[in-house]
Amino acid sequence: MNVAASIPTRPEFEPPAYHVREGREGVALDIRNFNLWYGKAQALHGVSLGIQKGMVTAMIGPSGCGKSTLLRSLNRMNDLIDDLSIDGDINVGGFNIYGSGVDVIALRKRMGMVFQKPNPFAMSIYDNVIYPLRVDGVTKKSILDETCERALRSAALWDEVKDRLKESALGMSGGQQQRLCIARGIASDPEVLLMDEPCSALDPIATAKIEELIGALKGHYTIVIVTHNMQQAARVSDNTAFMYLGRLIEYGDTETIFTRPKKAQTQSYITGQFG
Amino acid sequence: MTDISDPGIRNRTTPDGDNAELTQGKKVRRYTADLSATGEPALWAFGGALAIGILLISSFLFMVFWNGITTFWPKPVAVVTLEDGTVLAGEPTRNERFRPGTAILNAMSEEQRAEVEANGGYATRTLYKTANFDLYGDDFRWIPDYTVTQTSYPPDFYTFERQEWGVFIGRVTGLVIDDQPMAYDPQVMRREQREARQRFNEIRRLERGPIGRINHRLEQERLAIRRAQLRHGADSAEYEAAVAEGNARIQELQARFGEIQSQVAAIRALDQRNRVQLEEIGGRSIEPPLSQIVRYYAANDLSLLDKAGIYFSRWGEFLSSEPREANTQGGVLPAIFGTVAMTMLMVVFVAPFGVITALYLREYAKQGRLVSIVRISVNNLAGVPSIVYGVFGLGFFAYTMGVTIDQLFYPERLPTPTFGTGGILWASLTLALLTVPVVIVASEEALAAVPRSMREGSLACGASKWQTIRYVVLPKALPGIMTGLILAMARGAGEVAPLMLVGVVKLAPALPVDGFWPFIHLERSFMHLGFHIFDVGFQSRNSEAGKPMVFVTTLLLLGLIVAMNSTAIIIRNRLKRKYASSHF
Repeated sequence: MNVAASIPTRPEFEPPAYHVREGREGVALDIRNFNLWYGKAQALHGVSLGIQKGMVTAMIGPSGCGKSTLLRSLNRMNDLIDDLSIDGDINVGGFNIYGSGVDVIALRKRMGMVFQKPNPFAMSIYDNVIYPLRVDGVTKKSILDETCERALRSAALWDEVKDRLKESALGMSGGQQQRLCIARGIASDPEVLLMDEPCSALDPIATAKIEELIGALKGHYTIVIVTHNMQQAARVSDNTAFMYLGRLIEYGDTETIFTRPKKAQTQSYITGQFG
Repeated sequence: MTDISDPGIRNRTTPDGDNAELTQGKKVRRYTADLSATGEPALWAFGGALAIGILLISSFLFMVFWNGITTFWPKPVAVVTLEDGTVLAGEPTRNERFRPGTAILNAMSEEQRAEVEANGGYATRTLYKTANFDLYGDDFRWIPDYTVTQTSYPPDFYTFERQEWGVFIGRVTGLVIDDQPMAYDPQVMRREQREARQRFNEIRRLERGPIGRINHRLEQERLAIRRAQLRHGADSAEYEAAVAEGNARIQELQARFGEIQSQVAAIRALDQRNRVQLEEIGGRSIEPPLSQIVRYYAANDLSLLDKAGIYFSRWGEFLSSEPREANTQGGVLPAIFGTVAMTMLMVVFVAPFGVITALYLREYAKQGRLVSIVRISVNNLAGVPSIVYGVFGLGFFAYTMGVTIDQLFYPERLPTPTFGTGGILWASLTLALLTVPVVIVASEEALAAVPRSMREGSLACGASKWQTIRYVVLPKALPGIMTGLILAMARGAGEVAPLMLVGVVKLAPALPVDGFWPFIHLERSFMHLGFHIFDVGFQSRNSEAGKPMVFVTTLLLLGLIVAMNSTAIIIRNRLKRKYASSHF
C-alpha cells in the first residue's frame, strides 16, 4: 500500500536548519465562516477551519466540492477571477487577509504554492528557483546562489540538477519539474506551502518522491494539500478535512477520519461508495 | 458465424477460412465505399483548386525570376535589310503573331499573301530595339518578318550605354583624343574610356563632397540670417550684426565654391577634348565625349566570358549606383535604401505601439462590451484600403503635425516646408498605422496562448502583475508577437499606394542619411522599389524601354522582402531558443 516505503530514501538528504522555526504550536491559518460565490453560484458555504502550524493538512472530497477553491482563497489566487464575492474571515498570523489594506503581494510571498500541473517558467532552472527573490528585488548574487542551493536541496533536487542549473527548466521530467515548483514555492522561505493536487499529473514513482518530500518538509512549513487520492491523504497528512458540496463535513486528525469517521457521508466517501 | 458473402467482412484477416481463400488467389470482390461517402469529389475539387493556385503563383514567380535574371545578359545586334531597301540595326527583343489589315494585305506580293492565308490570316513580326533615341525619337520598332530580305550579325556593330539618351547602336568610325582625330583603336578606346569615366566620377565626387558641403554651409548661413530677422526684427542691431557676419562668411564660401567650380570646369573641358565618333546604320553620326560612355561592347563579337562580365557589371551597377535616363537605366541603390530604411522605421514604430495596445486589451482592460467593440474596430482597420491611410497620413502627419513642427522649430525655412510635406518619417508612421492591426491581433493571440498556469505560478510567487507580464508572459509570447511583426513587415514593405501621398518620389535628391548633422534626415522624401516599378513601367517616356527594368526591380523587391522576412524569422527562432533557457 505504501509506495513510498518501497523506494529507498535518500540518506544524504537532510533539511537544513535554515527552515526550522521556533514556536510552531497553534493555528497558522484560521478560516472563520467563509462563504464564496462565483457570480451567483455559491461555492463555499460557511467553512470554518483552523489549520495547525507545522503540520500537513489534507483536503479531500469529490470533484467540485470546493476544496481547491478554499485552498486558492488562502493566498487570494481567486482574486484573478472576475465576478467573485466572498464573506467571512481568513486570519493569518492575526490579521484578516480579506481585510482592507492587505498587501496581496506580501501575502503571497508568505505562502508558497504548487499547482496541479508542473508550471516551471520558460527560464533556466536557476532562474525558476530564485524567481520569488528576483521579483522581491534581491539582486545580490551570493544570496541568490545560496537560496537556490538550499531550496533545491530541500526539494531533493539538488543532486540531479546541480550541474545544469543554467539549462532550461522545460527540459526536465514531469516529476523533476514538480519538485522544481516546490523548490520555487519554498525559495522565499514562506510560512505556508499550499499544494493543489500536486501529484495528479505524475507517475507513481514521481508521486512517491513528492510524498517523501512532503514528509521531509513537514515541521518546517505548514502544508495544506488538496488531493483526490485518499490513500495519499492518509499517507502524508496529519489532519484531514472532508468537504462535500461546498461545505466542510468533517475535520480531524487523519487517523480518526480514515478509521472512525463521525459522519455517515465521510464514511461512505472514504469507503468509495461515492465520489 | 462469419458471413462470407458480405464483402466487407471478406477482406478482414481471420485466422482461417477466408484468408486461406485469398492466399490461394481466388478472386474476391473488393469493398469500395460510395464516392460521396469518402469525400472524393470534394477532395479532387479542393486539391485541384490548390494545385491550380500554386501553379499560377509559381509560374508567375518563375516568369518574374526568368525575365529578371536574363535582362542584363547582352543581346546580339541584328542588321536587317527590308524589301524596300531600308537597313536597320537592333537587338531582336520579342516575336509575335499578328493579323495584317486589308491595306497591308493589298500591299503584299502574291506569295506573301498566300503564305499569310495559309497561316490562317496571321503573319509574324519582331520587335527590334533600335535605340538611338536622340536621332530618331524612338527606341523600338516592329518589323513584319515577311518584309525582311536579309539578316546579318556584323561583328563591328557596337552597343553603347550612354550616361544620357540611353543606348546607341552603331559603328565606331574614329576617336578624338586631345582634340586630335585618330583611327579607332580598341585598346586606346578602352584606356581612354576608363580614364574619362574616372574623371566623370571625380566630378561626381567633387559635386557631392566639397560642393555639397559648401552648399550646405551657405544654406546654414542664410538660415541663420533669417533666424536673426525672425527673432529680433528686421531693424534690430542683432539682425544687422548677423547679416554682416553672415555675408562675410557667405562671400568666403562663395569664393571657395568658385574655386572648386573652376576645378570642375577644367575637368569638363578635358572631357570635351576626348570624344568618340560613332555612326549609326542610317549614316548619321554623333561625337559624344568618352566620359558619357558608361559601357560599350561589340555585341556580335563576344565570348561567353565577355558576356558574363558585362552581365555582372550591369548587376553591379544596378545594385550600387543611382538611376539615370528617367530611371530606365542605371541602378536602384537609393530605392533599395529607401525601402529598407522605411520598413525598419515602420517596425520601430509599430512594434511598441501594437504590443502595448495588445497588452492593455488582453491583460489590463476589463473584458466587456467596450473592449469587444475596440477589438472589432481594430480588426476592421486591417480592411481599410491602404490609399485611405495615405490620405490620412498626408492630412494628419504632414499637413497638421508637420506644419506645426515647421512653425515651431523651422520658421526660418518657411515657406519651404521641412516636415510639412511628405517624408520618410511620415511614410513610415503611415505604414505603421496601416499595419498596427496585424500586430495587435497577432500579439493578442500570442498573449492569450500563454497558459494561465504560468501566470498563476508567477503571481503565487509574489510577483506583481507587471512583473508577471515582464518576466513570464512576454517572453513566452514573444515568438508570436514576432510573427505578427513579420506579417506587418511583409505587408508594409510591399505597399506603394499610400506612400505616393506621403513621401515617395520618382527621384530623391539625397538619401535620408548623409554626413551633415543630424545625419539622419527623417523629413526627406525617398525612393521606394515598389514605386520605382510603377514609375519605370508605366510613367516613363517609353514603357517598352522600362519593361526589362520592371522585371529586374520586381525580382529585387521580392528578394528584399524575402531577405527581410527571413532575417526576422531567424531572429524569432533565436529568441524562441533563448527564452527556452533564459536568464533574466
